[in-house]
Amino acid sequence: MDDDRIFKALADPTRRMLLDRLFAQDGRTLGDLEAGVEMTRFGVMKHLRVLEDAGLVVTRRNGREKLHFLNPVPIRRIHDRWIDKYTEGPASFLAGLQRSFEEEDRSE
Amino acid sequence: MSDLSTQLYQVLLRATPEQVWEAITAPDRTRLYFHGAHVENTAEWHTSRGPDGADWGDGPVCEFDPPRRLVHEWRSAYDPELAKEPPSRVSWEIEDTGDGSCRLTVVHDRLDDSPRTARSVSGPGWGTVLDGLKRLVEEVTAP
Repeated sequence: MDDDRIFKALADPTRRMLLDRLFAQDGRTLGDLEAGVEMTRFGVMKHLRVLEDAGLVVTRRNGREKLHFLNPVPIRRIHDRWIDKYTEGPASFLAGLQRSFEEEDRSE
Repeated sequence: MSDLSTQLYQVLLRATPEQVWEAITAPDRTRLYFHGAHVENTAEWHTSRGPDGADWGDGPVCEFDPPRRLVHEWRSAYDPELAKEPPSRVSWEIEDTGDGSCRLTVVHDRLDDSPRTARSVSGPGWGTVLDGLKRLVEEVTAP
């Protein structure tokens, strides 16, 4: 159920762009995040809400400002659950294949 | 380059605030998920020791409000290069979500003058620790 929300949140280019912007600089205000985005403030707020519901963005108050932070923990979980599992076999096979080619090159 | 001077991590745990509090303050719990570190947090002092008893960093506890809030200084004594950097601060906040779960938020800040520590704890650093903590407390509470 949590995973559904995370995948849904990630399945949108604007939301992925907002995550990238937070990765480049964390702890940003809404005003900061909407600058340079071709979208209304309301639109950006809606996207941030989806990211918050998925746990990918967490907000903190700092005086009068509301700051948005990237929370990497759910992405890590998705990575461990859905990415590691499928890449481990083929990736290690390809790494082994590459090594064997390199050894052949050297022996020639 | 990403700005890492304030880092925030949040995880939802199917456990009570008391179980989470114990998991972050009792050395026989922390050693199971915190890179083997025996971490002890009292109302006054935070101590982290390696499995062999080596100093992995200690410092004053600034806030101690069981089972809700713990704030302590962080010193990276586990690595000689990182140990040269000034202390930073780690805050643990536990919120009861009212449905048998709680939300744990970890903020590691005051890292402005400790860029090496900031890099070493970022992303997979705290991510791995909190994932291990989640597994530990949820295993204990599983029916």
